Amino acid sequence: MATKGLEQGQFLRYVRTVGMTTMRGRGFYYPIDSAMSNDGGRLYVLSRSFERAVSDSMRVTMLNEDGEYFGVFGSAGIGDGQFRWPCGIAVNDQNRVFVTDEYLNRVSVFNESGEFLKHWGSEGEMEGMLNGPSGIVFDRDNNVLIADSRNHRIQKFTSDGEFVKSFGEYGSGDGCLNLPWGLGVNQEGEIFVADWGNDRIQRFTPNGEFVAKYGSPGREEGEFTRPAGVIVNQEGYIYVADWGNERVQVLSPDGEFVQKIRGQATNSEWAEDFLGVNVEEAGARKRANLEPDIEYFNDDPHEESSHIEKLFWGPVSLMLDAEDRLFITETNRHRIQVFERDN
Amino acid sequence: MPESQIELIAHLARRAGFGATREELEEYGKIGYEGTVDKLLETSSPQWMSEYLIRRYHPDESSMLAGLSGLEAWLYRMITTDAPLLEKMTLFWHGIFATGYPKVLNAKPLSDQIRMFKKYAMGDFRDLLVEMARDPAMIIWLDNQQNHKDSINENFGRELLELFSMGVGNYTEDDVKECARAFTGWTIGNCEYMELRSARDSDWPYGRISWHYEFDAQDHDDGEKEFLGRKGNFNGEDIVEIICEQEATARFIARHIYHFFVADEPPVPQWPYQPPRDPEAINQIVQAYFDSNYDIKSVMKFVFNSDFFKSEDCWYEKVKSPAELVTGVMRLTESVDRPQYEHSSRQLRMQYMGQTLSNPPSVEGWDGGTTWIDTGALVERMNFASEELGKLETPGSKELFSKIAFEGNGEVEADRIIDICLKHLGTINVKDDTRSKLVDYASENGVIRVIDQEIDDVGKEKIAGVVKLIASTPEFQRA
Repeated sequence: MATKGLEQGQFLRYVRTVGMTTMRGRGFYYPIDSAMSNDGGRLYVLSRSFERAVSDSMRVTMLNEDGEYFGVFGSAGIGDGQFRWPCGIAVNDQNRVFVTDEYLNRVSVFNESGEFLKHWGSEGEMEGMLNGPSGIVFDRDNNVLIADSRNHRIQKFTSDGEFVKSFGEYGSGDGCLNLPWGLGVNQEGEIFVADWGNDRIQRFTPNGEFVAKYGSPGREEGEFTRPAGVIVNQEGYIYVADWGNERVQVLSPDGEFVQKIRGQATNSEWAEDFLGVNVEEAGARKRANLEPDIEYFNDDPHEESSHIEKLFWGPVSLMLDAEDRLFITETNRHRIQVFERDN
Repeated sequence: MPESQIELIAHLARRAGFGATREELEEYGKIGYEGTVDKLLETSSPQWMSEYLIRRYHPDESSMLAGLSGLEAWLYRMITTDAPLLEKMTLFWHGIFATGYPKVLNAKPLSDQIRMFKKYAMGDFRDLLVEMARDPAMIIWLDNQQNHKDSINENFGRELLELFSMGVGNYTEDDVKECARAFTGWTIGNCEYMELRSARDSDWPYGRISWHYEFDAQDHDDGEKEFLGRKGNFNGEDIVEIICEQEATARFIARHIYHFFVADEPPVPQWPYQPPRDPEAINQIVQAYFDSNYDIKSVMKFVFNSDFFKSEDCWYEKVKSPAELVTGVMRLTESVDRPQYEHSSRQLRMQYMGQTLSNPPSVEGWDGGTTWIDTGALVERMNFASEELGKLETPGSKELFSKIAFEGNGEVEADRIIDICLKHLGTINVKDDTRSKLVDYASENGVIRVIDQEIDDVGKEKIAGVVKLIASTPEFQRA
């Protein structure tokens, strides 16, 4: 196996951090998913925000890998191009941007500049209907796969929203799902599902037949707690946003544990800009010990991440660029940590 | 189980929890009153809506950029918990050790404080006081980070004695100063940076950072102190030990317990001048406090099994706080089975009724009692309860309809409808006059009929109307 003998830190290496918290404009506000244009030149970061926040905090921020900012689109509401509980974002081969909304039970479609084109989807349990659509990804045939979370299934639609098929049902057996969230597709078109409520990753054929499952509940290597995101690189390595364990794990193409990372964020360019003009805060930050030795209230990594800023806090979604760099979106820290291959 | 026993358990459920459905009361009835007390006191592994679920659907209830998100998560727990007394005790301590967002300006430490109250709510009172003194939100709230060896800040020391343990008139100004000296060096980590972020309400660059307690030995005055007649090189823990030995502390906490769980007392500032409503009950709680070596769980067991608590004289003698009302109503609807977009509005409704958790009106917390009721708040209370309980599609309403349909085909008498509805809403005893008006309403404009074990839509609307009326009665608005 290709990964035998690998030591911690050999597979992925930290590169930099992108983004920062802002309620509006250049920045993110509870980013919950990210996608990349076909040429890799534009990132779309979907900010979930929250119910009581200002309307324009719920948005898609457009930028490039270097942090160059191109603007935002979308806002909170129920009108065209608006969201209530936006959850997933994906780009098709025409560079159209698709956003799922797990409250409005619809998929909104925008052009690459963020102009609203249409939305589709309706609430229900029947085939083609949605109940809490969350993760979204395009398959090799440019069909869109959606984690229809509260229906505990995956549904496949054409890019125009016509129903193709669905698979999965509620349960914990092979092929069954429990509030599935993130989705990934490998080079062969196989579908990987972050089976959130079952603490595992499941692998299906392009037609939705069960192939394999990886992981079990827990915090040890190769175990998961409420995984939210999954993506597969060109060599077949499986990256998992192990959300409830506040870490990312790398699995071999066969599902063997390779590496776990907890995050090591540094100041992004946007963060440096902020600190550059807020010198008093920057000074106090510099004098602070941001990695204090603390006796935590409990052993939930959520607690540690709330205290230690560099660690992942809410690693929810994964994205790969053409150079195999991994972009990890963190909801609670409003940023993206970038890692690259170390070998 | 006689109905009178069920009614007594219903009283217990309203005080030691947020009320109970008829089904829950009948389950409690199987183990009897004392068995129910024991069951409510057993809180070792409480279950509520999964934290992961809440965090998944409400990220701000996970990391809390906004001031109210922590209490929204708490409201989920109160609504869905299977250990309601634990949440009630947490509310109780939050009301005494009231800490507010406007000064702390970081919701996560406030939420962490609530979590701490829950952990120590029913244990040794000394542990709770020590943890409260170490709590980062409390430290900032009462300026103990500014309480230095060479320059004391009395704020925390004073409130510890005045509001948190003994009450005015039971200590001297010198005791306050000596108490403050003992708590010098009790501060939070990265104090300069965290204070600055709070002052600026800064969540940049990467969101809020949780606070942690830190003991700064260099800034602690370890010299001799004289406190409440005792001398020694006291630290904060020693001060707490001495405080807990005082009868004044026992009386102060006993009156708080009586006020919160038994019957409304006047606001705390009036206590030095107005005797307790039931001095003998206070004496008995004081005795339980000392007999149990300050164990709050034992004290509560004594209170709930006492004659003064069970006496019908104190039934409905407490006005529900907005938190109790909102929680109790939502538990009755049985509709909060997963995170909901609409949840955010519930805490807003609570605010409109006059209570924002983690945002008390002052360090003295909420006065409670009839101060919850003014014209605007009363309308809001009645509207909220009526709207939520009057919804036809909630599991709670469907259960009510099925109970009425179970009466059998034909017309259901108005008197019977009222009986079923009062039981369904937690086994409420209304006054005869109120009951008569409810029966009149149920009798007007046609009858409610059951056909093939179904009630038609007109009948359901009418039943919902009865429920809305009951939700507006003084007995429902009280506990």
